[in-house]
Amino acid sequence: MKRPKFDPKQAPGAVADWADQRLAGASPLRKLFNKVFPDHWSFMLGEIALYSFIILLLTGTFLAFFFTPSSAEVVYHGSYVPLRGISMSQAYASALNISFDVRGGLVLRQIHHWSALLFMAAIVVHMLRIFFTGAFRRPREMNWMVGFLLFWLGFLEGFAGYSLPDDALSGTGLRIADAIMLSIPVIGTWVSFAIFGGEFPGGDRIFSLLYIGHVFLIPGIILGLIALHLALLVKQKHTQWPGPGRTEHNVVGHRMFPGFAAKGGGFFMIVFGVLALFGGLIQINPIWLFGPYKAAVVSSASQPDWYVMFLDGSTRLMPPWEIRIHLFNHGYTVPPIFWPTVVLPGVLVTLGLLYPFLEQRFMRDRAHHNLLQRPRDVPTRTGLGAMAVTFFVVLTLSGGNDVIADKFDISLNAMTWAGRIGLLVLPPLAYYLAYRIALGLQQHDREVLAHGVETGIIKRLPNGAFVEVHQPLAAPDEHGHTELPYRGWVVPKKMNRIGAIGPAIKGFFVPVEQPEEPREVEAEEQREEITSGRR
Amino acid sequence: MSETETDRDAPEFDPDDPKLTRFDLVREGARRDGVEIVHYQPRFTRPGSKEEKRVVRFVALCFAIVGLAALAFIVAYVAWPWHYKPGSNLNKFYTPVLGLTLGLALLFIGIAIITWAKKLLPEEVSVERRHDGASPDVERKLTAATAMSMVDELGIQRRPLLKGAVALGLAPVGVAAIMPLGGLIKDHKSDLLTTAWKKGVRLMHDDGTLVRPEDVSAGGQITVFPAIRDGNTNKYADSPTLLIHLRDSDAKRALSNALPINKGAQWNNYLAYSKICTHAGCPASLYEQQTNRLLCPCHQSQFDITNNARPIFGPATRRLPQLPITVDSDGYFVATSDYKVPIGPGFWERP
Amino acid sequence: MTAAPVDRRPRRTLRQKLGTGARLVAALVLAGGVYTAFAPSSHAEDTKQLSVAAQKGQQLYNTSCISCHGKNAEGVQDRGPSLVGVGSAAVEFQVTTGRMPMSRQEAQASRKTPHFDDTQAKQLGAYIESLGGGPQIPDGDLRKGDVAAGGELYRVNCSSCHGFSAGGGALSSGKYAPSLHPSTDRQIYAAMLTGPQNMPVFGDNELTPQEKMDIISYVQNMKSDQSPGGWDIGAIGPTTEGLAIFLIGITALLFATLWIAGKS
Repeated sequence: MKRPKFDPKQAPGAVADWADQRLAGASPLRKLFNKVFPDHWSFMLGEIALYSFIILLLTGTFLAFFFTPSSAEVVYHGSYVPLRGISMSQAYASALNISFDVRGGLVLRQIHHWSALLFMAAIVVHMLRIFFTGAFRRPREMNWMVGFLLFWLGFLEGFAGYSLPDDALSGTGLRIADAIMLSIPVIGTWVSFAIFGGEFPGGDRIFSLLYIGHVFLIPGIILGLIALHLALLVKQKHTQWPGPGRTEHNVVGHRMFPGFAAKGGGFFMIVFGVLALFGGLIQINPIWLFGPYKAAVVSSASQPDWYVMFLDGSTRLMPPWEIRIHLFNHGYTVPPIFWPTVVLPGVLVTLGLLYPFLEQRFMRDRAHHNLLQRPRDVPTRTGLGAMAVTFFVVLTLSGGNDVIADKFDISLNAMTWAGRIGLLVLPPLAYYLAYRIALGLQQHDREVLAHGVETGIIKRLPNGAFVEVHQPLAAPDEHGHTELPYRGWVVPKKMNRIGAIGPAIKGFFVPVEQPEEPREVEAEEQREEITSGRR
Repeated sequence: MSETETDRDAPEFDPDDPKLTRFDLVREGARRDGVEIVHYQPRFTRPGSKEEKRVVRFVALCFAIVGLAALAFIVAYVAWPWHYKPGSNLNKFYTPVLGLTLGLALLFIGIAIITWAKKLLPEEVSVERRHDGASPDVERKLTAATAMSMVDELGIQRRPLLKGAVALGLAPVGVAAIMPLGGLIKDHKSDLLTTAWKKGVRLMHDDGTLVRPEDVSAGGQITVFPAIRDGNTNKYADSPTLLIHLRDSDAKRALSNALPINKGAQWNNYLAYSKICTHAGCPASLYEQQTNRLLCPCHQSQFDITNNARPIFGPATRRLPQLPITVDSDGYFVATSDYKVPIGPGFWERP
Repeated sequence: MTAAPVDRRPRRTLRQKLGTGARLVAALVLAGGVYTAFAPSSHAEDTKQLSVAAQKGQQLYNTSCISCHGKNAEGVQDRGPSLVGVGSAAVEFQVTTGRMPMSRQEAQASRKTPHFDDTQAKQLGAYIESLGGGPQIPDGDLRKGDVAAGGELYRVNCSSCHGFSAGGGALSSGKYAPSLHPSTDRQIYAAMLTGPQNMPVFGDNELTPQEKMDIISYVQNMKSDQSPGGWDIGAIGPTTEGLAIFLIGITALLFATLWIAGKS
């Protein structure tokens, strides 16, 4: 065969041909292109976490070029004048160098830390969406468990990162972690000595463990679980909201390429952009103010990062209850810190992991579900969720109760008591309120479906009574009923939602052109067709 | 998985048929993948309409901003003065400028791409069939048979000797695999019971100088360390101690309140308590000289200094251990023994 | 920091002995009720000027302070303590930070707009000083200290209550350590020297005048040092950072999702 002239236009085709000859990838590739994703804002929350994680990997790799995880003593001679001549660990000195003596180091350090906070925040917000919409139900119990584990791994990863720079806050945090380990009955001291290689702080051991854990082990596991999380998502396909044409047996949305992928890529850039703005404009973890860790140094308002704060709060609220056991002429101690920092997380992890199964058991619902539920349609779950969120928020606020006490002139002791009482009283209250609100919203939807939308037109009846005219949502059937079935999806509640009033002029500065009328109607008809065909 | 099904239904399809448009091929491909494109329409009914041009201009503008911001980032990275200088100066804006330019560049890439996807790509509604649920029955039976046959082939059921041998042989290997972690284990629990303090160890300041009674005024406190090599470093993280000089009346109260274990620990109006909180090990060092309370900033345990440092609020359950002190013939403070009880957070074996 | 203990003849001893001696002499002199030339702004016509200042101070005292602190600053039961012997440093601290005169009895007096100007505060100080002596703030530049050494001292002695970034912090039952951000050099010095309210006293033996100046240098340097990482959101650590990521970060990105998934 004659060697053809190189034609750039043919190049992609030639490459594709070359690859397909060897991989036979044409149809799997097309299947990937054609995968359909439903479009809803609440489905993009997990993406924030994913993108933050990618940014964490990028910035973390940069930081690792310059960081030395060592407790060896050095005297600081870097640029930051107020610490010059102070002896400190090499870890802290290298963290200072990243901040002051590496060009652009500070902005990357700050982006890294903000990304960590955003990663955890996005995980929590995403998890709430999954929970309140019932997206964890069969067949997705496994993915719920994977996601739940990801939260706790992120928690560990974040704590390790917070501890690495060996500033005074890190050290204080580690010392509390040591107290938590020591509090475990029977094996506590063994655990602590194994982790620290001796009595706290023990020297280099902890830095070796934290470092390899923070840059390799935990991120490795997180990466693996994220891959599993996404693989399960692809295999099981995304859930969707109920609505016209949407059933348990289909996915209605956009094909992955180009629309969905472009939106995802664009969103990555937005997340990255927001984090870069954060990293440059808002200072985070100014380790140079904290100074090197010394066992005798502490600051008022010593707090962990926000996702650990709930454990700090539970520790603060714990009453001083210590258990002493006497066995064989020797006393044994279970310190009070054991309950809020070992038992509580243990219970939370177990309950969280098992929740899908518990709900299946108590709601007697073992069916396959691909359609989501609105929170109002499952008041019990919504109530439980509100209860859990309230519990978490009370604990988190208590983790910062000294800052609140100081900034809002409240007695610190009063804050502690408010937290203790609040922790017991508020969650049940939240359950009750959420339950009632969910029922109320549901009832209102049902009422509109039964009687129609309020028109705002008041009519006087012959007997003198005033009534409001309602616009039924459906044409009367042969019996004259206009009632529509309840489907668990948005019900129009205002006249302009059903086209009685034209939409407001679109556009901010200049009115946006309206599309031509006939096409619009055609499109509407077509949509209706699908709807009826699929039902 | 659906291809057999769709192929059966579909009439013969010739992708080279000149009558077919490219979109017909797309639709057919999607159909074969179980996806039905039910609504597909260009975003603008009239190509090149005013609105389309406006959107195109906006996207182009976004990319122009991206280019400028990225360029500004590069220039700032290289040229902006960045070394730390105390006070208020241009260098302090290095990080904000980098963040701002990088952030704007990335943000506008995002805005451009999403605007493109939202406003320029065709409107589309596609429906993909799900194939949920278990595998077909036949498939399951075939796979189960294959799996069972593996067991048969190994013949482990028929060969009980092998069964036992494998179990006995592999169990230690499993344990052996985790044995190297034993390298982490360390038994120095007596470390938790003692500190660097002992009879005759003097008290020193953070800067290494020794402590005399007149170094602390009434109503004052200082942090002291054992006067041994590295006594003020983290090597002896269990030893930092708070030396407090009480006013006369408070000191009398403290003395009369002293528990048997703390008898003789106080020297005149001076007393020394472990700075390490008995709750979680933070330095409990927020000393209020009028109320004689000591507050720990980590979990807000409060201790009453005039009553054996008894915990009076918060999660701490145990008193701060008191260091017995006196003044030696040279006029320096000196410990008369180690703490009588282990300092710091509780642990299981704590006597 | 590695520091071997210094035995026998510590470098402090001489200084301390001198310091103690000087104080003893001063105390004796003052106890005798003789006002001598140790007061601030010593000039040739010391005695006369000072007594003028003290007299002016007495007038101010008699109009604004006497109702609580009593005649000759001897104190009034349940209203105000005796001020004999508190020294001009305490007076200057309380008056220039606006804590005194107090409008009403509170758990803790807080910083207000001062009622008297600096000169009047010094006059009041001179008057109280004349009644029973007490600690004084030295004149001159109080920032002649070493910033790094001050930082070490600050973190061991001060940050536990006032916080790493000197923003203040909560104490037990509604009391608090105030922020040092509005504090002047002289106020910080006076606070260390006199231990106002629940603050422990840091006399000249705990922290030598030089060490006090180190701390002042550190604190004032930190305050005037613009944060290198952008807006410091109060520099009170992870609490505000957590708030920021939710209030700004998550909120902004939620709006982004609404925009991305919204109708085009």
